[in-house]
Amino acid sequence: MPTASISLRDVGRTFGATRALAGVGLDLKPGVTGLLGPNGAGKTTLLRLLATALPPSQGQVSVLGLDPQVPAERTGIRRQLGYQPQEVGFPRGFTAFAFVDYIALLKEWTEPAARHAEVRRVLGLVGLSHLGAKRIRAMSGGQRRRVALAQALLGSPPVLILDEPTTGVDPEQRVVLRAVLAEIARTSVVVLSTHQTEDVAALCERVIVLDRGRVRYDGPVTDLTAQAAGRVWLADQPDPAASVSWRTGTGRYRNVGTRVRDGVEHVEPSLEDAYLLLRGGAAEDEPAEEVTS
Amino acid sequence: MTTALAPARPAAGAGRATFAALAARETRRFALNPVFLAAAGLTAYILWSGQRGTVTDINGPNTAAAVLFGGVGMLVAFWLTRSMSASEPVVGVTPVTLPVRTAALCAVALVPFACGCLTLLAFLHFYPIGDPVYGAFSPPARIAVLVGQIVVPSLGGPLLGVALGRWVRFPGAAFVLFLLLSGWVILVMALTLARPDSAPVAVLRLSAPFALFTLHLDAGVTAWRGSPWFFLGWQLALCAIAVLVALLRGVEGRLRSRIIRALGIAGAAAVILLLLAGTGGFTHAVTT
Repeated sequence: MPTASISLRDVGRTFGATRALAGVGLDLKPGVTGLLGPNGAGKTTLLRLLATALPPSQGQVSVLGLDPQVPAERTGIRRQLGYQPQEVGFPRGFTAFAFVDYIALLKEWTEPAARHAEVRRVLGLVGLSHLGAKRIRAMSGGQRRRVALAQALLGSPPVLILDEPTTGVDPEQRVVLRAVLAEIARTSVVVLSTHQTEDVAALCERVIVLDRGRVRYDGPVTDLTAQAAGRVWLADQPDPAASVSWRTGTGRYRNVGTRVRDGVEHVEPSLEDAYLLLRGGAAEDEPAEEVTS
Repeated sequence: MTTALAPARPAAGAGRATFAALAARETRRFALNPVFLAAAGLTAYILWSGQRGTVTDINGPNTAAAVLFGGVGMLVAFWLTRSMSASEPVVGVTPVTLPVRTAALCAVALVPFACGCLTLLAFLHFYPIGDPVYGAFSPPARIAVLVGQIVVPSLGGPLLGVALGRWVRFPGAAFVLFLLLSGWVILVMALTLARPDSAPVAVLRLSAPFALFTLHLDAGVTAWRGSPWFFLGWQLALCAIAVLVALLRGVEGRLRSRIIRALGIAGAAAVILLLLAGTGGFTHAVTT
């Protein structure tokens, strides 16, 4: 059984006077870990730290037992890493195949036949086999996201860091990608950030909720969902006692909150309910925390 | 799902093979760039059309080769270097470090360098070295003049483009630099016409990465002062500086210190070679 792992000890990251991450401590093993949090919570910063794209301002990061602060060890990590950033630009004139092939070359796939076979394989995994010869700039947003994911999957890396991999991807492809990631996660550490709680519920064994750069929750998805049991109810009107309410497709209102009145119609909570409950119903993005010391 | 999920991973430590493959990839991208192909075609046409008439001045074809291989090569190398910048979030976390990618990009200069060598051979075929159009220079010095005007600018232009691409984000930076260098060459030429025997003016003339050594007038061919051999050295020192400046981007640790030290040495050598180029050779303009 592989023992691929990542550990963070008291990791912090600041950008000037803004604290993006503070006191983060995590141990990640093979499996899919979902990262939830509002915009500005520090998810992308955390993923960039794990992907060796950014050094921490404090604390220690270890990926597969290697220290990303040491150049030689950082290269060692990168040999075993797949990373899909939130935003990827593509060079002008490149086809999907040419771009993934170029990245494969940078990942040291020097033997052309093996490299081309691998590029075809990962394009197949993301459902782009038939579009390999199409220029990326002529592709839809969802197809571009899948090209970005394809390059991350090259070599089935032991560590796979994905920043909002399913944004803009259609439902059928999302189901396919979930299956691909679940398969890879049998041997690899997969960390994905997303705003799609249904992806986390369907795919992740573990979820981490970030809030103003700090870990607010870290544990099984089922445990987080269970925290909302008895705190989600339906009503004909928005309940003032609820932290958050919204109109559902049936015309009734779904209420989530800790102050539950007697006699309300309870319903089965979802991960989204639990996440909103944890957040206290806050709808705003997180304000960046100022460094005071 | 029918696609296999367990590929054979590449062996770690494949540094040299990766560099060679990457350099080959970038070289192919450079050589197939339509702008560069057009420049190469135009150079060939200029050489071919020039040899049909009576040649009285070597500067025309030489300048065309320098501009088309060196100047256009600089533009293309700049575009090539900047082309992956949008993908840096992905490219930047691969095992191939930025200095290695830069070195692979520098290898593309071999394409225009080879074109420059071929142009030199064609030039010598059309205008034999004993021809009076070369002025008062000795036969070896005539070769040095041609190498400094055709071959080395073809090598140095693209290297400058890579260095610029590594440090400057402005998309028109290479074109602006091309105009500035062209302006500098024209300005120092004008100064030379006014003060052909002045040593400081000769140093200024040769401070440009491309310089003329002769002028054809009705009275004959005038060979200006300055040493073509030391000028070659100055140009090669500039090439080395361009490579080192390009490599400096993203390098860390001991290698960074070494590159900075090498830059100091190359800079000092460049200054000495420029002074020797300006003060060596003929001590005054010679008309034959």
